[in-house]
Amino acid sequence: MDRIPAQLDQESLDALRRAVGSRWVLTDPDQLRTYECDGLTGWRAVPLAVVLPSSTEEVVQVVRICHRAQIPFVARGSGTGLSGGALPVEDGIVIGLSRMRQVLRIDLDNERVVVQPGVPNLEVSRVVAPFGYLYAPDPSSQRVCSIGGNVAENSGGAHCLKYGFTSNHVVALTLVTTEGEVAHLGSAVPDSLGYDLLGVVVGSEGTLGIVTEVTLRVLPVPQRVQTLLAAFPSTDAAGEAVAEIIAAGVLPAAIEMMDRATIEAVEFAMHAGYPDCGAALLVELDGPQSECEALFGQVVEICRRCGASEVRVAEDEAERALLWKGRRGAFSAMGRVSPDYYVQDGVVPRSQLARVLAGIRELEGRHSLKVANVFHAGDGNLHPLILYDRRSPDGPERAKRLAEDILSLCLEAGGSLTGEHGVGRDKVCQMPKLFSPNDQMVMHLLRRAFDPGGTANPGKVLPTPRLCGEHPGIYRPHPLELSGAAQRL
Amino acid sequence: MTSLEADLEALLGRESVTPAAEGTGGTPPTPTARPRSAEALAEVLALANSRRLAVLVRGGGTKSGWGRAPGRCDLVIETTALNRLLEHEPGDLTCVAEAGLTLGELQRLVGGAPGHHQRLMLDPPQGGGATLGGVVATAASGPLRARYGTPRDLLLGARFALADGTLARTGGKVVKNVAGYDLGKLLTGSQGTLAVIVEVALRLHPVPPASRWVVAEGVGPPTAQVTLTALRRAPAVLSMAELLWPEGTLLARLDGAPSACEQQAEIVRALVPGGRVAGESEAEELARMIERRPWEGEGPVLGISVPLTRIGELMALAAVGGPVAQLSLRGTVGAGEARLWAGADPAQFAAQVADLGGYVSWHRGGGQDAPPLQPLDPVAARLAGSVKQALDPHSTLAPGRGPA
Repeated sequence: MDRIPAQLDQESLDALRRAVGSRWVLTDPDQLRTYECDGLTGWRAVPLAVVLPSSTEEVVQVVRICHRAQIPFVARGSGTGLSGGALPVEDGIVIGLSRMRQVLRIDLDNERVVVQPGVPNLEVSRVVAPFGYLYAPDPSSQRVCSIGGNVAENSGGAHCLKYGFTSNHVVALTLVTTEGEVAHLGSAVPDSLGYDLLGVVVGSEGTLGIVTEVTLRVLPVPQRVQTLLAAFPSTDAAGEAVAEIIAAGVLPAAIEMMDRATIEAVEFAMHAGYPDCGAALLVELDGPQSECEALFGQVVEICRRCGASEVRVAEDEAERALLWKGRRGAFSAMGRVSPDYYVQDGVVPRSQLARVLAGIRELEGRHSLKVANVFHAGDGNLHPLILYDRRSPDGPERAKRLAEDILSLCLEAGGSLTGEHGVGRDKVCQMPKLFSPNDQMVMHLLRRAFDPGGTANPGKVLPTPRLCGEHPGIYRPHPLELSGAAQRL
Repeated sequence: MTSLEADLEALLGRESVTPAAEGTGGTPPTPTARPRSAEALAEVLALANSRRLAVLVRGGGTKSGWGRAPGRCDLVIETTALNRLLEHEPGDLTCVAEAGLTLGELQRLVGGAPGHHQRLMLDPPQGGGATLGGVVATAASGPLRARYGTPRDLLLGARFALADGTLARTGGKVVKNVAGYDLGKLLTGSQGTLAVIVEVALRLHPVPPASRWVVAEGVGPPTAQVTLTALRRAPAVLSMAELLWPEGTLLARLDGAPSACEQQAEIVRALVPGGRVAGESEAEELARMIERRPWEGEGPVLGISVPLTRIGELMALAAVGGPVAQLSLRGTVGAGEARLWAGADPAQFAAQVADLGGYVSWHRGGGQDAPPLQPLDPVAARLAGSVKQALDPHSTLAPGRGPA
């Protein structure tokens, strides 16, 4: 579908200003540049305008204006996403939700908190912490990233091994549809009426509408948390320990792995005091004291049996923070040892970890680039950091190819394109590697049911010939499409 | 033999088609097709779709009465011949199975892998004979949801056939995956109205080495309310917490390492007035008490959800001699996921539950003409209609049925 406006027509611009107030409609090129990318800075586009509504009603008005004039829009939270999901479109506007950052209701006896989408993830835990509760999903950008963004990407985090993802913790939400209507999906009580539309909106990367209010499930803080760091001679040995822990029926809150390259970078950058070893595992158990203690001994024993030369147990909260410090700071530490890096986000079945890590080592050699691995080992979610130098003539290109090869390796092992960062713009053209034309067509049908005009975050999630070229395998018209019953966005 | 039956036989072979005359499939009798592969199932669907027939999908037939009754049915497609476990990698705690495999058979297959006693942590009513596809399509769960969630939390991916015969996949077989729309959640609970599920990938859990039950009798509404709230914050992980009402029996189960079970059972016992830790010899009988549902048989049944803090009030509504007589509740009240099912005359009940901040729906017995007990959000209803229209434009799949 061709879109008309190369610039915003005056009528729409005036209407937007009336809807949210002139000072909340940004059109100055310098201001617009602030919004040209999200956390994935390789993709950039300057939008026609940025609109900053402060309420569901204002979002409704803004979306209605877009609907009327067929202006594409991209919803944006804090802009920390790593797949270009909030990358603007040049012929559209950005709807920034950062002014909508109120915690609306707290009902701890029912374990519910209602927030606006701009509320930072960590803020939810912060407001309920004094009462002994927490919000479980903890993406590493949690200080900054917004709940709205978490809903869009179905964000995970280190502790989702035990607690699940955003979709397991969002029980209801308010969705402004692409036509500017307000839908209430889900329910604060268990289960709800009708189809589970909530379930598809979470993780839909802003393509099905704009979420303006979210009801979250919060949990009582576990009685006990126990954390250890185990040093292994190799990632193989550490991987074996992971497999044994899982097979033993232990479900830790988190199992994180760091390879030698990561440990060295972390030591260089922040002196976390990590042991000098081939791979380190950070294992955290939480729950009732009785359960933690019963299982913790088992985990220590498994680590030793799998060749751990050292097992450090955090004795208090300060020591626990120290053990986590290196893991949490691993990405930024990489910035100190390499001019540039690209974070890949792939998933493999847990039983394939060792095989895929070996494959990544082989790819490092073939592409003559270094890869540091730091990842959520418990659920097989790899985050290989591909280190490169953008000033070297083919640096970025080689890094990109290596990243794609790693992804292919994950898929060959039966895994997925993305475990928590989303498809966004970054992986849209790789969707056909995982999903057949039919699979994609069904997703298109769903998208069109929510967004008949194709204005919500176009160019994200689902590949089109325009985005990805016309090579075969990407696009094949579906019978419904040929019959005119459906249309591709 | 009708021409439809002849065409089905040509597609599937005689042994896979039961003619209407031998009628097991619905009223009036309709032919039943039992395809042996996903591809064959898709062909049957495409055939029905092109002739504008109404198709009802059936697994084990254990939940055929759930949801709104379908308006018409020309053909039943049974998934029971799609009954293979396709993958089970114990180290991954995942499996992939065809939709017609029964839950009982799956539990037997994944429970017995050498050195790995695993389980799909779903225990819906009449679970053993229910098929995986049916359990997912009805979002059926039982007491274990208190700890492990419902099918939407355990489904990793699915393969399905649209009404026009398009076979497609969603999700994957890994436990963490955000690639593309999560259509698995949309299909979960859609009661066979959007697509026919032919294959599911599921998350498994290890079977805990030990269990302990805590039982209390004579639990009334105020005690139940206070106790449940206290249990939520107690340092104990309940695998289930069930309330039998009006009997006044509270049953809680703790699973895990033996020492942890002992200690947590003691914590729970101390919080439950009149509570006692049951002996191991009682475990089977207690499990049977939960299984027993007074409304099995005929008559309407309601699905009710209320906030955790309103369970006492719901019990009071449902008390013998209370405002609504002859109501019997069974519910998963652990984990704050209060879901109580009631066998009752629905009409007077819905508004009272709405006042508690909860909702009531037809769990069973909502005939075609039964009015919805509570209105769906109108915009959500419109979106749901658009989704149905997009995936099944001729309303081939169970027209009139659906979760409500």
